[in-house]
Amino acid sequence: MRHRRAQTAPARRRTLTGLSPVLESALAGLLGLLVGVVVMAIYGYNPWAAIVALFSGAYGNAAGFANALAKATPLLLTALTFAICVRAGMFNIGAEGQLFMGTLAAVAVSLVTLPPGIGQIARLVLAMVVGALWSLVPALLKVTRGVSEVISTIMFNWIARWLALYLVLNILFDPLRAEKTISIPMSGRLPLLMGKTTLSVGFFVAIAFALVVYFVVWHTVVGYEIRAAGLNPTAAKYGGINSRRTMLLSFTLGGMAAGLAGACYVMGTPPTYSVFAGLPELTNLGFDGMAVAMVGRNHPIGIIFSAIFFGGLNAGGRAMQLRAGVPLDMVRVVNGTIVLAMAIPELIRILPMVKSGVRRMISSVRPRRGADSGDTPGDPDSSTSRGDATQEKERGA
Amino acid sequence: MSIREDVKATRAEYFLCARGITKVYGDGTLAVDDVTLDVRPGEILGMLGENGAGKTTLTKMLSGLLPPTRGQVLSPRGIVRFASPREALDFGIGMVHQHFALVGTFTAAENVALGHEHPFSRVRLEQTRSQLEKLIEESGLHVPLDVPVEKLAVGEQQRVEILKVLSRNVSLLILDEPTSVLTPVEVDVLFALLRRLRDAGKSIILITHKLREVSSVTERIVVLRRGRLVGDVTTRSVTRDQLAQLMVGETAAQTVGAAIELAEETQLLGQDEERTGPGILHVTELTVKGDTREVAVRDLSFDVHGGEVFGIAGVEGNGQSELVESLGGLRPAVHGRATIRGVDILGKDPRQIYQLGVAHVPEDRWKLGLVLPFTLAENAILGIQRWKEFCGFLGFLRKRRITAHVRQLMDRFGIQATGPNAPAKSLSGGNQQKLIVGRELAKDPAIIIAAQPTRGLDIGAAQYIRELLVEMRRKGRAILLVSADLDEILALSDRIAIMYEGRFVAIGRPSEFDRARIGLLMGGASVKEAA
Repeated sequence: MRHRRAQTAPARRRTLTGLSPVLESALAGLLGLLVGVVVMAIYGYNPWAAIVALFSGAYGNAAGFANALAKATPLLLTALTFAICVRAGMFNIGAEGQLFMGTLAAVAVSLVTLPPGIGQIARLVLAMVVGALWSLVPALLKVTRGVSEVISTIMFNWIARWLALYLVLNILFDPLRAEKTISIPMSGRLPLLMGKTTLSVGFFVAIAFALVVYFVVWHTVVGYEIRAAGLNPTAAKYGGINSRRTMLLSFTLGGMAAGLAGACYVMGTPPTYSVFAGLPELTNLGFDGMAVAMVGRNHPIGIIFSAIFFGGLNAGGRAMQLRAGVPLDMVRVVNGTIVLAMAIPELIRILPMVKSGVRRMISSVRPRRGADSGDTPGDPDSSTSRGDATQEKERGA
Repeated sequence: MSIREDVKATRAEYFLCARGITKVYGDGTLAVDDVTLDVRPGEILGMLGENGAGKTTLTKMLSGLLPPTRGQVLSPRGIVRFASPREALDFGIGMVHQHFALVGTFTAAENVALGHEHPFSRVRLEQTRSQLEKLIEESGLHVPLDVPVEKLAVGEQQRVEILKVLSRNVSLLILDEPTSVLTPVEVDVLFALLRRLRDAGKSIILITHKLREVSSVTERIVVLRRGRLVGDVTTRSVTRDQLAQLMVGETAAQTVGAAIELAEETQLLGQDEERTGPGILHVTELTVKGDTREVAVRDLSFDVHGGEVFGIAGVEGNGQSELVESLGGLRPAVHGRATIRGVDILGKDPRQIYQLGVAHVPEDRWKLGLVLPFTLAENAILGIQRWKEFCGFLGFLRKRRITAHVRQLMDRFGIQATGPNAPAKSLSGGNQQKLIVGRELAKDPAIIIAAQPTRGLDIGAAQYIRELLVEMRRKGRAILLVSADLDEILALSDRIAIMYEGRFVAIGRPSEFDRARIGLLMGGASVKEAA
């Protein structure tokens, strides 16, 4: 026991590579773009033109930026789903399914007629409730039977997908256009903020939700308990925290976010305000949210910015396709590389050899901080042998 | 003696020889201090010492797991330096750790093959199998080779570990507390094996804290205490009492004054029956199971009164942890009763127990006591986070009051930190412990359950925490103190219980025991034997 302190005590640095979290995320984003450029060059596209088109399309003018924010809206919310559960110590992969269910709940409200005002609120609330209920099933399986939430939420995504397809084609279909659902009536739509773009009030709903999550998780006793249980479940138990409750709570909050994401999308996306068969517009919003959460460091405020970045990639992708002739799929290459790059710090943690190598690399390009002077500078062997010893100690402990 | 002469000497008599070996850990802990030790071929060497005496660290240095800070290891072939356990294995030194390093889903043969090149080629596996069969025949270490090791009993798993090391044809076998996981019958089998290996010319180092074992199987015994070698004796020439004395030793010079002072005061209060307050904790026939479902606490009954320190001494792993965890609401009891001021606590969750006036200083500060990535402020309200003082309207945390609370704790208990928002993991061990103790004492408890409250701390911090406990006792609080540090128990307790295998083998006032007798009782001698 005594030995382990040598590693834990001086760990004042914030992240695994010793860089600040913001810088780490920015580097991952940059690396993603860089790989995208290389891939484009290999396939004979003009990467420079593509990048210019991507960024000017996303952030170059007001309309483009508005579209970027619109694309960011559902990602922001599904990222919160993932982030809240990570803070509680769990991996909720189920935002995708929860989003489908929330979307259809919002559509289903159209079967009854509601006055404006009530119509929007009823849809948003119902979508949150349905999203939460859908996520509560895996959560209950976890706390009562110990079923891994990773497996069950993935399975629930598929159940949700086929259930959604069934509902779209058989129950909620539009009698005039059978390939899509009935449209949200005027009384239930979220007002658009700018003509000719898809940016609606939904963006502010998402921001508001992120702020609520921030205050709940960082400023209330419930959030304190969620984070404690996520960081150290045994200490949380010692502190009188019921970890079942924190799990259920975080899944409920997460499910609400995912349901809200679906509702904001369908209620605020012109021109059809409806869901098409095959769910093309909804597919992957939940999974992409996980990437957004990673880049945003699972923090609501960070997620707001990273969602706008990813939203920009998606919105700018259209411009890239149009102006530079690069397929939209290139955006997915960039997305994927960013996710991989975000995993590098974790990789460094797992492999002490890589860690010492990267440390040496980093220390050769920038002056060492006082905080990580664990090994003697100037002795090239010391960090390697310390790495070995660490590994062995961990095995021994 | 010069090194060259040393080398000659080792060639003549020693298989391996440590000269002035010292280990200082990164945090400044002196774990092994200038130990000189030789290991002869064909002998079983017992290594005796209390928890934290440095036995494991010393042997880890011999087996290449840790580099020594100072000193060297000599062999007949000259100075040896092991950069890794693999190099030590190639040299002929193998260690069997207290916690096995086996892959649960692999068979014994696969586990043994794992350390070699191309472990899963058919050739290698067949080779390993035939080698193992031969080894099993020679050594009598019978284990099924084709069953996943997780399905084997603990004793069998240990045999796989030993086979793993023997298959590398080692000359020196180091066993770290090998008997702690074995039943008495399995212990006998293991010792018979060790004797056969010795007769075959191998050297064996047996690490233990059990006196009976060490005197029954070894030829020579070295005793470590607080990192120093305090005895190197032939087994035949010493009695168990002498060994117990060596192991627990005299009170360290630095703490002598304070400890005596405390002890005197304790005794004064202890003899004054009037001053012992009302019964606070009342435990009847409590039985608790451990992690592996074995009975860890057996039908234990005792009371702790206000204004007294009830000290539980014993070697770790004899049920103390399980006892404390069940009283703290962290581990269910099998049967029995425990009440605090008449209210049942078994089956209640920790928060309900704290509401009855219990403060719990847990044994493991990193696993239980603190959320290390949390700040000081966040850790300072762990367990009391729902008090009105800290959590207001809609459950919003009252950050200003929490900060004020931490600042008060930092002032009162001398916690050195950069501020209330410093992460708890940036604190030294002593300051982390002060934070926990401070937080618990600030609850104004009726009873303090303190498990190993000073473990791993420097003398100053340890002494301060002891003084805090005595101060609480003076205020009439009940204190249940569990410690593996005998000096601490003797200095602080009004009554002492010695725990062995889940039972109290003796309860009495400190004056009724002498050190050697406690050492014997801790090692499992019966009361009659010890008297």
